Amino acid sequence: MKKILELINIVLENRDKVKLEEISESSDLRTDCGLDSLDLAELTVRIEAEYDIDIFEEGVITTIGEILNKLDLEKTDE
Amino acid sequence: MKNILISGVSRGLGLEITKSLLKKENICVYGFSRAKTKEFEFLKEKNPEKLKWMSYDMSNISDIRNKIFKEFIGLKTPLHGFVNNAAISYDDIITNLNYEPLLKMYKINVFGPMMITKHVIRQFLLHNVKGSIVHVSSISAHTGYKGLAMYASSKGALEAFSKNSAREWGERGIRSNSLVAGFMETDMSSTLSVDQKNRIFKRTSMKVPTTKRSVSETIIFLLSESAESITGQNIHVDSGTI
Repeated sequence: MKKILELINIVLENRDKVKLEEISESSDLRTDCGLDSLDLAELTVRIEAEYDIDIFEEGVITTIGEILNKLDLEKTDE
Repeated sequence: MKNILISGVSRGLGLEITKSLLKKENICVYGFSRAKTKEFEFLKEKNPEKLKWMSYDMSNISDIRNKIFKEFIGLKTPLHGFVNNAAISYDDIITNLNYEPLLKMYKINVFGPMMITKHVIRQFLLHNVKGSIVHVSSISAHTGYKGLAMYASSKGALEAFSKNSAREWGERGIRSNSLVAGFMETDMSSTLSVDQKNRIFKRTSMKVPTTKRSVSETIIFLLSESAESITGQNIHVDSGTI
């Protein structure tokens, strides 16, 4: 979760948007995290570079929890 | 250091673009083609640091990410430009059209380049690069020629893809343009008879073939930051075909 937050904040920073303090499994990538479709593309690329998994390959992802499921990551703070 | 990816790098226009790029400082060319020519080999020996090459057949669409982006360029290497130059021609009159050669041409001229563009843009995003994409198109997409309908249609598809790439990614500073080349004296047009060529050249303002030099220098300009305000355009370099 920490790593995902870090990657989201890199994307937000690149777009001069306000960085997030925290995220939860239910956080919506668009409405809660403030990412638009191009930001989500950048996030996908950054996640892929880190985990070698393209989270959008098999369809739309809307929440942080769905990303964690795709990556098979523990839903803890690590 | 600016890293430029070029398809169809070993001969014709691709070779010309590579030669001109290597004369510049701080440019590294990542080129691929099916095979190497002697001339390309010579160029590579003279520029071991600035010219990287891999053998790749663009009709192999499923290995693009792994072979070109992960193994050849490497995800850690920022990419600054892509020249989609490789293409094949399938010339015949429409009543003789066959699906298999049509599909093969579309894989190399359109589907492969579209998939490569996907990964090029992703590489731009990963490294925050305002990259430039140049698709090599053809005047045949704008002026009709007997026997070139299939080839022309593939270039028309690329031009539409380029324009929409420009619109979609412009706000990230990523540019995409098509270089609409007139008929050049390359292997691509070697199947045309002298008579056919003369009829084509007569339709230009200058009555001469388009030079590889003029096309490649314009492509290099479009890749450069001097062209920072140019995107979504079809730039004609065609001896004034009107």
